[in-house]
Amino acid sequence: MSEQRQSPARAIWLRSLVVWAILIALLGLSWLAAYGPFGGWTVAVNFGIAAAQATLVAVLFMRLNEASALVRLAAVCGLFWASILFALTLSDTFSRLANV
Amino acid sequence: MSAVGKLIREPWDELGLSESKAFALQRSGATFGIWVFIASEVLFFGAIFLLYAAMRIEHADAFAAAARETNIVYGTLNTAILLTSGLTASVASRAAEHDGLRRLTLWCLAATAALGLAFLVVKGLEYREDIEKHLVPGPRFALAQAPAQLFFGFYWLSTGVHAIHLSIGIGLVGRLIGKGLRDHEWLVGNAQVEIALLYWGFVDVVWIFLYPALYLAGRAG
Amino acid sequence: MSSGATADATTLANPRELPLELPASYLADGRTLLSWLATTDHKRIAILYAVVITFFFFVGGIAATLVRLELFTPQADLVGSDTYNKLFSLHGIVMVWFFLIPSIPTTMGNFLLPLMIGARDLAFPKLNLVSWYLNLGGGLLTLAAVLAGGIDTGWTFYVPYSTTFSNSFVTLAVLGVLVSGFSTIATGVNFIATVHYLRAPGMTWFRLPLFVWAMYTTSLIFVLATPVLAVTLTLVVAERSFGLPIFDPARGGDPILFQHLFWFYSHPAVYIMVLPAMGVISEVITCYARRRIFGYSFMVYALVAIAMIGFFTWGHHMFTSGMSPYAALVFSFLSFIVAVPSAIKVFNWTATLYRGQIGFESPMLYALGFLGLFTVGGLTGLFLASVPIDVHVQDTYFVVAHFHYIMVGASVSAYFAGLHFWWPKITGRMYPEAWARFAAILMFFGFNLTFFPQFIAGYLGMPRRYHVYPPEFQVWNVLSSAGAAVLAAAYLMPLGYLTWSVFFGSRAPNDPWNASGLEWRTTSPPPRQNFFGNPEVLAQPYNYHPESTPPIKDQPRVPSQGSLT
Repeated sequence: MSEQRQSPARAIWLRSLVVWAILIALLGLSWLAAYGPFGGWTVAVNFGIAAAQATLVAVLFMRLNEASALVRLAAVCGLFWASILFALTLSDTFSRLANV
Repeated sequence: MSAVGKLIREPWDELGLSESKAFALQRSGATFGIWVFIASEVLFFGAIFLLYAAMRIEHADAFAAAARETNIVYGTLNTAILLTSGLTASVASRAAEHDGLRRLTLWCLAATAALGLAFLVVKGLEYREDIEKHLVPGPRFALAQAPAQLFFGFYWLSTGVHAIHLSIGIGLVGRLIGKGLRDHEWLVGNAQVEIALLYWGFVDVVWIFLYPALYLAGRAG
Repeated sequence: MSSGATADATTLANPRELPLELPASYLADGRTLLSWLATTDHKRIAILYAVVITFFFFVGGIAATLVRLELFTPQADLVGSDTYNKLFSLHGIVMVWFFLIPSIPTTMGNFLLPLMIGARDLAFPKLNLVSWYLNLGGGLLTLAAVLAGGIDTGWTFYVPYSTTFSNSFVTLAVLGVLVSGFSTIATGVNFIATVHYLRAPGMTWFRLPLFVWAMYTTSLIFVLATPVLAVTLTLVVAERSFGLPIFDPARGGDPILFQHLFWFYSHPAVYIMVLPAMGVISEVITCYARRRIFGYSFMVYALVAIAMIGFFTWGHHMFTSGMSPYAALVFSFLSFIVAVPSAIKVFNWTATLYRGQIGFESPMLYALGFLGLFTVGGLTGLFLASVPIDVHVQDTYFVVAHFHYIMVGASVSAYFAGLHFWWPKITGRMYPEAWARFAAILMFFGFNLTFFPQFIAGYLGMPRRYHVYPPEFQVWNVLSSAGAAVLAAAYLMPLGYLTWSVFFGSRAPNDPWNASGLEWRTTSPPPRQNFFGNPEVLAQPYNYHPESTPPIKDQPRVPSQGSLT
């Protein structure tokens, strides 16, 4: 009985701890990169790491990997519509700056 | 009525399905519902980050100068705290699906809520320091460049909105703990556990992006 | 006088149609105030919404009446500039957020969506009730702002006026709209989950009535656009009440960003108003033309396309805002694209009418009015989508006339069409048809008399939002104000005869219009559980007669469309 209870718990902890360790490592990496010699690329590196962390959390902690296609579609819809907002608004911002 | 039967709500109880099927369908409907809400929240925070992006594009130097004033130690600590709370939330969410893991579920829920509270405490300390350093936009603002005030307008707004979301999350998790302590069968397989913890995960993700936006800009210069 | 009208369950059913041992109708299922205020029945919540919405419709209507009275003459006779600003702001805010946005989805959508797909209720009934309280709370906050002294920013809350300069009660009104926004998001989540999870056996996606598709696509906009409005309003509150500089130009802020965020919501919001209207019209036209909808699948694609493309076009509200001319070109092009699915819908409705056996009952009169008014509104929209014409007529009455043709001419007509069409199902009573036809015709003429002159006045250069104007515009304003009086009478009439019918109208049969939808396959009004037994769907919607067969007065219903047993 106690073994049966132990094994699922251990499996859960093992999977989650690995993800957590990667997340913390990425956090440290991002902190270091902020002081690093990347010039204009620092922003890209920092937000790229953030995107990787967010993907890990969404897929493995929020369990998109086990979710139904419908749920994944909902998640993708949020990103797609946000990208519409970004793309069209920033196209105005950039072209206004270019014209100044 | 069985333990599962008690948890089935209208209108899922009247679909003419067996208890276990109705329960599974209710759960998957609830999960889908919270994901639709999360998609909505993505647009909410998407708009906030768009604001940041546009303002930073327009005032790159002032933003770098202003972002150097934030306390990176508090910021990094808080990020680590939230990432860890994401770990406990994830474990709680998975453990809640197993009959025998009720105590683990409860402990992880308690740890999640406690880490959330710890985040708010650190945030409060940081706010106090910010106020002492005159980083509140207004006539006594510490930095000379006017657009630097925009950065701190965004800083207070975004961290405030995030803190409100986190507080709601702590409330939801606290409610789960209360219900789970009173009723031994309530937590197992209950969609409300997964919903609350998915929301928690989303609040985590928001902070993951706020961290480079608020704390990492302009450090290298 | 009305006591006994709903005295017991059996009096609600038509005794000729139904055995008398039926369960109580949803109206008779509890009669305390609490049984209404704590209900989770989607049908009762729809009624709760209808009460609130009707109230706000007349609040907004009173403001519009005062505006039109003031504009009767070129001078300021009735109100001063400040009061005038507050009146048109009140009219806009109330009509947009507390009438038009919730109107069809929260009343007919709430009532009919589960019925049409053969479900017992929405997926999250408690959330549905919470939505109503949020809607009510938002409305009361906004009313509080009005009673405290009013708002003078216009319904758009443009910065920096709303954040820095206005001395009116902006924060309170903005919070009201914000709260009501949460209500619509919750409704959207609820509808989407319901359509995905609770369709009856056999109700496949391409058997859904177009009204359900309209609700579904509207819900997508609710969920994906409203949060951006919430942010925009939060930013206004943050800047105004907490002094956080966000848009303040003095500190480098960018007010055009506000407009981007605001219109990212508020342009799709137009489709929140018009997609449900399109859904209603599809149901009404098919029923009274006794014809299947022409091109069902393209009607579905058009709804989805409008909902999608509607998100790409918001910039056409900003051509003169200082936005980059390149972005303006892109937005102009994208705006023209929306016309395509809209035109598909108009052509398909027309084709549905072709060779139909058209009956001119009151819902159909409203629906035909919708067709004409929507077409005018849509075509003038093309004028405004092209940059050079828009620059000419920007901020004139041309714009006012255009969006009133869409929002009032189309959406409100459809609201009344649906209200009359489903009134027997909702209340179990028939309304006086002659009065209803008279009101429908009066509304059409009153509407055109009110708003068509505004196209001309606007084209000639009369700016909006002024209460004093050059005397050469007076003739158009007198015509418009006269039309507004007719329109006001036409709007008051349904309030009278529909209320009368609840108490004195004859009992409605289950399917008074011989319509084909699943919602007619239960009693009028339906029981709490919606159906007796589990409905199952075996056929396409709009099961009216095919083109080659003549209509039969009592055309036998296909039992597969759900049954009473």
